[in-house]
Amino acid sequence: MTLRMHEFYRAFRSLYTAVSSITAKPEDPPQVMPSQLSFASFAWKNLWRRRLRTTLTLGGITMAIGAFVALVGFSRSFEHEWLRLYSSAGTDIAVSENSFLNTSLDESVGAKLRALPLVEDAEPMIFNLMDLTPEVNALVFGWRAESYELNALTLTSGRHFRNGQPEIMLGDVLADNLKKKLGDTVEIQGSAFTVVGIYHGGSALEADAVVMPLDELQQLSSLQGKVAAFHVRLKPAPPGEDADAYLKRARLQIETALPGLHATPAAERAANNQLVVLAHAVAWGTSTIALIVGILGIVNTMAMSVFERTREIGILRALGWRSWNILLLIQTEAAVLGLVGGLIGICVGWGALRVLSVLPQTASVVSAAVSPLHLFEALGIAVLAGLVAGAVPAWRGAHLSPVEALRHD
Amino acid sequence: MTSPMTSPQLEVRKLCKSYDEGRIQALRGVDLSITAGEFLAISGASGSGKSTLLQLLGGLDVPTSGQVLFENAALGSAIDLDTYRAHQVGFIFQAFYLLPTLNALENVQVPMLSVSANAHNRPQRAEALLVEMGLQHRLRQYPNELSAGERQRVAIARALANNPSILLADEPTGNLDSVNSARIMEMLVGIQQKRGMTLVIITHENDIAQSAPRHIRIRDGRIES
Repeated sequence: MTLRMHEFYRAFRSLYTAVSSITAKPEDPPQVMPSQLSFASFAWKNLWRRRLRTTLTLGGITMAIGAFVALVGFSRSFEHEWLRLYSSAGTDIAVSENSFLNTSLDESVGAKLRALPLVEDAEPMIFNLMDLTPEVNALVFGWRAESYELNALTLTSGRHFRNGQPEIMLGDVLADNLKKKLGDTVEIQGSAFTVVGIYHGGSALEADAVVMPLDELQQLSSLQGKVAAFHVRLKPAPPGEDADAYLKRARLQIETALPGLHATPAAERAANNQLVVLAHAVAWGTSTIALIVGILGIVNTMAMSVFERTREIGILRALGWRSWNILLLIQTEAAVLGLVGGLIGICVGWGALRVLSVLPQTASVVSAAVSPLHLFEALGIAVLAGLVAGAVPAWRGAHLSPVEALRHD
Repeated sequence: MTSPMTSPQLEVRKLCKSYDEGRIQALRGVDLSITAGEFLAISGASGSGKSTLLQLLGGLDVPTSGQVLFENAALGSAIDLDTYRAHQVGFIFQAFYLLPTLNALENVQVPMLSVSANAHNRPQRAEALLVEMGLQHRLRQYPNELSAGERQRVAIARALANNPSILLADEPTGNLDSVNSARIMEMLVGIQQKRGMTLVIITHENDIAQSAPRHIRIRDGRIES
């Protein structure tokens, strides 16, 4: 926790420094390479000259990149938690009928699956998102008491549930949120269940979930004899056989033996389940809209800037600057806007993720861990947005007639 | 009009420039030769076409008809205008046109950014030029912190940044008092002689025009004398 606070403080300091540098007094111009003039320092000074507009534009791009980092980060962490849910239990393949949420698969298929040569174990499961209290809802998993997946859960107190009994196990995060301990009862859809175990899960999704007997959840959901999927663990691959090739062979064997069913590798299942796909779609959709707004802000800023600096562009052309020099200068300014807005946006988005990761309502599905790749992606998108937004104003500025530009008031 | 014996550095042939779809004729068939290292003053009333001539000589604009030749090569066809401006021409304007966000040292480096061969030692070379202009104590001042005379001296240093062979000055003393005017003119003539540069000055001040070894007058888009 100390480390987390320290990291948060450092991010806040970066944000504060960036904002301070924009809102500082005009008497204190930033000294970026004071002697050596470069395109970058020239561009920075041009942006600095119109501080208010630059700050407002940065606000737009910051929000866009902040939204991208937070939302896409959230959706990816959600996907990652699903993957951990499979990998921590050792699930190699999920067998289902059509979609992730479909619960029409007959439970008797399990015996056929277990009889296949490459299959070591096949466990039926269903899951649902259920209200436990008016404020708290959670994922409820239905497993058999003999499921290998229970082995991935570390019991911190109590024992495993028994088939056919109104017993549940609570993830430690959820138990904290609900303030429940062993022996307490939890009412789920009008039925009382006794807490017989509290566990620490391999995935954050499990840590904030309920695990109960499959038959009890089937009854609760009026899905007797039906399951959503079978989680399959394969026998070890024969020596010399590539893991991917072995997985492919196993999938083929399952789909051939059980026509109409889909055998999906765990990683693919995690990425393509409807909940994750929906989270990705919402995240990218919202981020894209925010990004378009941010781009329009930069377009406006750069177009105004080029118009106001028409004579200055004429001077530069008179001093020997070529069209592409002008283009480069304006695009550098746009890219700097994107870069700075992106850096601040990353801090904002990452800060939002950290807050969400500690809120009880979202802690189970949001992780504050952001991959460096995601941050580079955000920065790349920010700079690209700047370049796209600056393209038309830059082209216009580059193609101004020097004489016409010099005459401009 | 003078006819130099040596091969001209700049030559203008039947130069015409019109604006507004031909309704305004700024230049009407001007012929002119300028030798390398020459100091030429061009005078004329407002609207006579002298600034238009300077812009065409400097490759800032293209003529409606006629040609501008630099060392016998036509500007705009045989020589790219951008290359010509970047390497051969230094402009000095009446209104100085210094960039307000840059200090004196940085303003002088601006033309250097367009010439990649000039990438090394930019600050040192800019500083040397400003020292030559007597501005060694004003290197890091911004244009609004400089007097009019100092601004024009920075502008002259900037015009010399890429070591051009031609200096084109459009009423360089127009915004200066008499003391600063005399000093700037003395400086320009000194630079022209020391570096052997061609200097073309547009002026409406008779004493400046008369001080040039060669002086032409433009009237209604034609060379009068």
